[in-house]
Amino acid sequence: MAIHSDEGGMTLVVKTVTRLTVGLIFLYGVYIVLNGHLSPGGGFAGGVIIALSFMNLVLAFGGKKAVEIVKKNAVTAMESIGAILFLGIALLGFTEGGFFRSFLSQGETFKLISGGTIPLSNIAICIKVGAGLFGIFLTLMVLMGSERKEK
Amino acid sequence: MIHAWLPYVLCALLFSVGVYAVLSKKNLIKIIMGIIIAEYAVNLFLILLCWRKDGEAPILHPGAVGQVMVDPLPQALVLTSIVIGLATTAFLVAIAMRLHDRYGTYDITRIRELRG
Repeated sequence: MAIHSDEGGMTLVVKTVTRLTVGLIFLYGVYIVLNGHLSPGGGFAGGVIIALSFMNLVLAFGGKKAVEIVKKNAVTAMESIGAILFLGIALLGFTEGGFFRSFLSQGETFKLISGGTIPLSNIAICIKVGAGLFGIFLTLMVLMGSERKEK
Repeated sequence: MIHAWLPYVLCALLFSVGVYAVLSKKNLIKIIMGIIIAEYAVNLFLILLCWRKDGEAPILHPGAVGQVMVDPLPQALVLTSIVIGLATTAFLVAIAMRLHDRYGTYDITRIRELRG
């Protein structure tokens, strides 16, 4: 795969700061997803934040190293898994009598474990959106790499 | 004292900034930025439409049961609109990169001849 990576990312300052902050960004995304049924946020917003943490890694450490860790096919597979999970949760509602019907107990209101299947749907949407956004980013990187190569 | 119409005027102003960038700029990247600004001005307009006086964010939490809340429907619409905007922006950027690949410039006045 032709990825643009001349010397492997940015300067030492950027790399060090990224090493410190990227885990925090990822954890914040996970928090937004898991609390999506209680507070603002949810699957889409959390998925975008998680994808941004991966983009941060790619920009700081150069495309080649990141693509070695996360292959583009793996990203596509993750995106499909997210869609299938969401559809599966919706179809499992038929055991309770309808599409998107909650098959879990409702739980205690305003607690983390509540809302039936909505947290699970949020996780599925998070996988779908995060993988999709990161896939778009990787595709643009490949496009830029082929452009540099032709010159 | 903020007048009720002031946010709408500012929203229209933001939209005008976007349209101005699309019409007058020659750099393709700046045109894409103008499209994004106009798009977000429309999103802001839709969010402004659902505002109510003393309204809270439409999320139930233990302290706010039974309070006045803003209309959540335009917010759901705008979330969809943001997703579509993301996809079209990625598409525009990909096309701009392909054009730069062929012509070696982002200047739209120099992208005229058929080449490739």
